[in-house]
Amino acid sequence: MKTRLAALLGALALGLAAAAPARADEMPTYTLTFKADGTFEPARLVVPAGRFKIVLINESSEAVEFESLPLRKEKVLGPGVKSFVVLKLSRPGEYPFFDDFHPEVKGTLVVTPAP
Amino acid sequence: MEQVGFIVWRESVEALLVVGILYSWLRSDPEGRRGLPWLWGGVACGLGLAALLALLLLGMASWLSDTGQEWFQAIMALAACVLVVQMVAWMRAHGRGLKRELQAGASSMIHRDHWWGLLVLVMIAVAREGSETVVFLYGVILSSQEEGHFTAMLLAGLAGFGAALLTFWVLQLGGRLITWRRFFKLTEALLLLLAGALLVSATDRLISLDVLPTLLDPVWDTSWLLDTEGGLGKVLADFAGYRAYPALSQVLIWLAYWAAVIGVLRRVSRPAQPAARASMGDSAA
Repeated sequence: MKTRLAALLGALALGLAAAAPARADEMPTYTLTFKADGTFEPARLVVPAGRFKIVLINESSEAVEFESLPLRKEKVLGPGVKSFVVLKLSRPGEYPFFDDFHPEVKGTLVVTPAP
Repeated sequence: MEQVGFIVWRESVEALLVVGILYSWLRSDPEGRRGLPWLWGGVACGLGLAALLALLLLGMASWLSDTGQEWFQAIMALAACVLVVQMVAWMRAHGRGLKRELQAGASSMIHRDHWWGLLVLVMIAVAREGSETVVFLYGVILSSQEEGHFTAMLLAGLAGFGAALLTFWVLQLGGRLITWRRFFKLTEALLLLLAGALLVSATDRLISLDVLPTLLDPVWDTSWLLDTEGGLGKVLADFAGYRAYPALSQVLIWLAYWAAVIGVLRRVSRPAQPAARASMGDSAA
């Protein structure tokens, strides 16, 4: 029991230590802004299939949560915070996302077939 | 404003479910009362960790990179899942013979480790949802100060937390109406479903990190039947691990989880001679 618990705490510590910067250069990059008036900019983001990065910018004065179960992402951003998510999508189609803290604010990620 | 209350309610319910069930279980048993300080210790540690995580989410701290955050979330969810299952198995065993063992004085060491497990579980449950609530309320309060309805927003937040407490109280009340045994079964099932949901959310993070292969993605698309944007689909996603577009590996892991849980609980419930069975390798597990 004791060793299992120690292993668990060790794993938590490892998670903290895994702070190596993500290698996100040379990736197609798109921007999604949470506007001060409570909308996404753009509300429809069109990207080709593959690996890419979406920079999330929260310009509003409230906290927002970029969330999409189909995209397997959840990201909380405090007021004025900028962050990013890296996605790898091979299946073309429409993926809905929304702001979990303001559930009426919705957007769509449109993945087009790879060129 | 109702929305502020609703979001605080939703974020608090999961943590309250874990804390509340463990609390009522510990209270019901004279031996269990010894665990109460550990429970409250877990709540205190959880609040502390939530505050630290909130600083990170507000961009005021940078001790964890983006990938690091994703790893951290995955590990927290996995650890919580393991601890919930372990706690449920222990609760079952305790109901049967632990008191006797305790009186024999043989298991005080084993006990202490379980109390640590309890503390860590409560800490994670509180920290996971707590940090998001802190960030959410921080933003709401900040912007409402500018617009001048600070008190109303603060009250809405408190109302949400109050509603979460009420939800748990109703559950407790339900426990008085039905028999303790039924209540125990019901909360046990809720905790196991929640642990499954935590496991699925951990696999989401691991797939995102490119650590877990998807095998086939998605296996099916049930978004036409039940999507996870809101309503029932969202509740099932948060508390049972439902996904409208699951990857094959997620489905397999979820099935393996339930097979393992059933195996573990069968073994725990089986009276006596657990040592002999364990050494035989136990084909049922």
